[in-house]
Parts: sequence; structure tokens; C-alpha cells
Amino acid sequence: MARSESSDGVSIRGLRFRYDRGFAIEVARLDVAAGEQVLFSGASGCGKSTLLHLISGIETPEAGSILIDGTDICALSGTARDTFRGRRVGMVFQTFQLLQGFTALENVLLSLMLGAPTLDQPRVRAQAALERLGMRDLHAPVERLSVGQQQRVAVARAVVTEPSVVLADEPTASLDPANAEAAVALIRSAAQVAGAALIVTSHDPALRSVFTRVVDVSQYGVATAAGHMGAAR
Amino acid sequence: MSGGMSDMTIVLRSLRTRALATSVATALVAIAVALLLVLLSLREAASQAFRRGTGNIHLLISADASPLVAVLNGLFYANAPANPIPWAKFKEIEEGFPWQWCIPTQLGDSFRGSPVMATSEEFFTDFEPVAGVPFQFSDGRVFEEAFEVVLGSAVAQEHSLSVGQKIIFAHGSGGSREGGHEHADHPYEVVGVLQPTGSAHDRALFTNLVSTWVIHAEEKRASDTEGTAATKTTANAAPAESSPDTAAHDHDHDHAHVHVEEADLRDDEKLITGILLRIPTRPGSDSSASIAAQFDRMRRDVSITVAQPAQQIGRLMALIGDIDWLFVAMALVVLISSAASIMLAMVSSMELRRRQVAILRVLGASAWRVFALAITESTLIGLLGAGIGAALALVGGQIATTFLQERVGVVIGGAVDPRAAILVAAGAVVLAAIAGIVPAVKAYRTSIARHLRPLA
Repeated sequence: MARSESSDGVSIRGLRFRYDRGFAIEVARLDVAAGEQVLFSGASGCGKSTLLHLISGIETPEAGSILIDGTDICALSGTARDTFRGRRVGMVFQTFQLLQGFTALENVLLSLMLGAPTLDQPRVRAQAALERLGMRDLHAPVERLSVGQQQRVAVARAVVTEPSVVLADEPTASLDPANAEAAVALIRSAAQVAGAALIVTSHDPALRSVFTRVVDVSQYGVATAAGHMGAAR
Repeated sequence: MSGGMSDMTIVLRSLRTRALATSVATALVAIAVALLLVLLSLREAASQAFRRGTGNIHLLISADASPLVAVLNGLFYANAPANPIPWAKFKEIEEGFPWQWCIPTQLGDSFRGSPVMATSEEFFTDFEPVAGVPFQFSDGRVFEEAFEVVLGSAVAQEHSLSVGQKIIFAHGSGGSREGGHEHADHPYEVVGVLQPTGSAHDRALFTNLVSTWVIHAEEKRASDTEGTAATKTTANAAPAESSPDTAAHDHDHDHAHVHVEEADLRDDEKLITGILLRIPTRPGSDSSASIAAQFDRMRRDVSITVAQPAQQIGRLMALIGDIDWLFVAMALVVLISSAASIMLAMVSSMELRRRQVAILRVLGASAWRVFALAITESTLIGLLGAGIGAALALVGGQIATTFLQERVGVVIGGAVDPRAAILVAAGAVVLAAIAGIVPAVKAYRTSIARHLRPLA
């Protein structure tokens, strides 16, 4: 297993992922240090989400390695990769992807139960995570919460397992500028408190000023055969 | 479990959010399980009803045409046997072997459609309607004299009769008034009522042989006298000079009153229709090599029919058996279609649940874990349905038992066999689990990335 100079954080080497339709992503080398906060920018369809899915192990690459805290997730079996993701990777989605029919607290507890079953006092941890983000009504079903509250639950769920890296996929896409700024601030501070690296994807140029490091993902796009970049999302 | 969340919470929540589909699938399983159990228990009850009633008899003798008819007539009161056995033949058989007991029976009269069996007191002391369970009186005693009658439990209940009341029998069997006339001048006094036995004997009345013999001797002698006087055409036809105020069949009695005492009875008037026999056995054993030997010996006598009741009932059940398995097969089909309905309900909701599966996977659940969740969900429906179905069958069986006992007089013991209930319930659960495989495979194969995309 190849090890990068620093074993903490995320290290990508020689990554290649091919889409069905003549388009591929190739990342020769990309490192995100432990606790570092990075913005993945680029136009819609340039492969930001795919790159995030690869880092989380949801998608598997054709070639290359992705090390998270020194472990190459591409070398893990399917089940081991799922377990690893549950424990080390927190994810926040544009539409939050909360589990309907469960309360705010239960959504966060599920993350602990599935991702970090060995952590003690899950209920205390879940409550603390939610309260730290300003959530009051922990026992309301998530479908009755406001968008802002749902966002808090989604962030709490991502950081409660004390992951190595938090991946936020277009977290501001459905928010107005004021709320978008607040949402990003919320995610950044939560990741910082949890001691996790943070990768946020966004096509919103306004966020470029917020992050000290911005990676333009369009540079990794490669046309294969008679490729066209536009529609490959 | 300190967190209060488990895989079971996820499953239960999933069932709850689709309450309608869950209820329908559960109800279908419950109905199928209940149906199967009730059919199985009815099947068992039917064979029990036949197996009971032959009791501890080894051999049955009658003058019927076949052994099966002899058993159905002699022990299940299907019809009154057509041909009598002379008293001399009874004596010959009684003395021909050291029987444990030898009980004469005579059938022919009836009370409002219920058969009257004339027999000896040993019928109550030695014969056991269900092997090991002798007759017991809920009220009164065995008949001791002529014109005393003991009632089967169902007869007493159906006609609200109790000890001390007097009743009149009709000649011939069955409810049809055309069939016979009443023995109006010989009322019987009810002296005993039997407890239910769960056998055909509950629907019969019992008197001693002398009562029957006396009545028939008196009628025979009276009609003989009248017949010679009035040049009768046929034995049962009303005489020509019928008076207008009496019914045709009561007519005989009005004209010639002959009184017969027990001591006056001639041997040719002592007719019986059956003999119940038991061969001595060693304690704890119900069979003896002598049964076959005596069966073979008596079978050579062409004037009688010898039957081994247990064997005849076995043959009868084998005939019926094929038909009632058909009903069981139908119930099984219902059970299988209920499992199919679980599968359909889960598969049709799967498209909506793929996003949920994808979220669980993101949070760290493996593909196998979501597979197991789906199987657990379908199994739980099966478990719930099987439980409700078994309860329904038990309660329904109880209601059916009570109804049959009150209205028909048939006692069915232990409506649903608990072992069958467990077996059927387990089968339903296994089928439900199997039904979960298709949706589980769909859950297993769900692409996380595709189902996490924001809805367009």
C-alpha cells in the first residue's frame, strides 16, 4: 500500500474513473491535510460529485488509490469500505437526505449505530451534537422541521461519529445567498470542532472567497474517444 | 442498546410508515394461517369423531350386508340394521369363547329422529365409547327395569329432557312420520342422562332389551290376532274398517290390546341386531392374537357379518382422506399467495425506499445489512400474521366447537392441535422470509450514488 508523506487526511494518487459516455476523471495527485478545509469548485457536470463519491467509497475507481488516514479505501472489500465510510467519513447533501419517519435525534443516532457502534453513550453524543448546532426540538420527525433545522440535523449526523473527513455535496445549491453563507459557516465550524478535514463542492463562485484553498475540479476532466464534457454528471 | 436504536427500530419504522400495505399483507397471512388450521382441525375432528365411538370394541357382529355397513349402522347409527340376529345365535356366540364381555344391541326404534338402542347394562359398565373413557352420568343412573331410558347428552340437550320425564318412542328410524307409528301405550321414563363423549352415542337413547322386545311382541301378537280376524292384506296396512277419529298407524292399538310380560317372551321374539365383543387382553395392551383367530372363526358363519370396527374406520378414512387433502392443498395455495402479496407489497414500495437504502449505506450499513433488513421486514409480517391467524383459528375453533355441540350435538375436542398450529405458523414465517428475498436483493443491489441525487 502506497503511503503519502503524511498519513492523515486524504491522499489521492493516479485516480481514474470512466463514465459511460466518453468522459473520465483523472487525478494524478491531490492531498487534503487533516483538518484542512477545501472547496471543490467547477461548473455543473464537471465531476465534483463523482469525485466526492469516490472519496467516500460510494463509487469505485478504475485505477488509483484514495488514502484516508493512511487506509486505501480502493483496496477494501465492499463491506469493509461501507464500515470504513460509516466510521471515518461524514457526508452532507444538498437535499439533506434525512431518513423520513425518524426524529431529528434518531437520524443522528442511526449514524452512530451504523457508523460508530463502538462509541459509548450514543444518546448523549447525539444530543450534544444537535444542541451544539442550535437544535432544540430533538424529538420532532424530520419532515416537520424547517429547511434550516433539517440542515442542522444533516450536519450533526455527519460529524457525530467524529470522522476524519466531512464531505459536503452542493450544500448551498437550494439556499438563498444569506442562508447559503450561514450554512457553509455552520458546516465549517462543525467540521473544525470535530477535528475533521472538510471538502465542500459548489458551483457557486461566491464561496471561493470563503475558503483559503480552492480546487478547480474541471482540470481533472478528460474526454475519452468522442467525448463531450457537458452532460456527464 | 443504550442508544435506543437498532436494526429492529429501522424495520418497525419502515413497517409503520407503510401501515396500509403492512396491514393488508399481515391480514392475508393471518387469514391463510387461520384457514389452514381450521381445515386441518376439521379434518382431524372428522376422523376423531369416527375413531371415537368404536371405543374398546374388538369385534362387532350384525346381520348387515358388509362389515363397513355393520359398523356404520351398529356404532354410528347410520340406519337401523335391516336384518335381525336370533337370540339363539347370540347365546351360541356368547358361549363360544371366553369373551371379556359380550353385549347384545338392538336398533330400530327412534325418538324424534334420534335412534334408540336397546342393550344390556354392560353397555355402560364394560363398553367404553372412547377407549379408556367409560360412560359417565351427568344425572341419574343406568336403566334397571323395562321402560326406563338413558339419554345421550345431545338428545337431552336438544329436546330439553331431564330425569323423571316420560317420552314415547316411534317404531322405525328417522324423522319422517310416514316411517313408523308411535308406541303410545308404553311411555318410557328418563332415569339417566350421559355426559358428552364426543361420539355418535351422544345422539342416541338407551333402554334395556326387554322393553323393546315386549313392545314389539305385543304389537306382533295384536296384529296377528287382528290379521286373522279381518283377513289382512298386508302386515302394515290399516285394516279396512278404519274408524275416522284415529290416525292410520295408531289404529292397531285401539282394537287389540295384548299384554306381554317378560316371562311370556318367546325366543323368536327376542330379536337383536348387533353384538359387541371384546377379547381379554393383557393389562396395558389393547390387542390379542385371539382377535384375528376369532374373527376368522366367526367369518365362516354365513348368517352373520363380523367386523373389526377399527379396521373398517381406517378403511373409511382412507377413502375420505384424499378428498380432504384437497381442501388442505387449497389452504396452502392461499398461504403461498399471501406470501406473494408480501413480496409484491415490498417490491412495489422498493422504488420509494431505494433512497432510504442509499442513506443507510452512506451511514455505514453494508449491502448485506440492508438485505437482512428487508428479509427481517417480510419475516416480521409473516410472524405477525401467523400469530394473529393462529389466535383466530383457536378462537374460531372454540366458537365452532361450541356451535356444533349446541346445535348439532357433535363434540369436537381440542379444536386446533397446538403442534399443527406451531408447524403452520412456522411455515408461514418461512414463506414470508422467502418472500422477502426479491425485495432484499433489490435493496442489496441499490446503487447509492444514483439514489442520492437530488430529485429533479
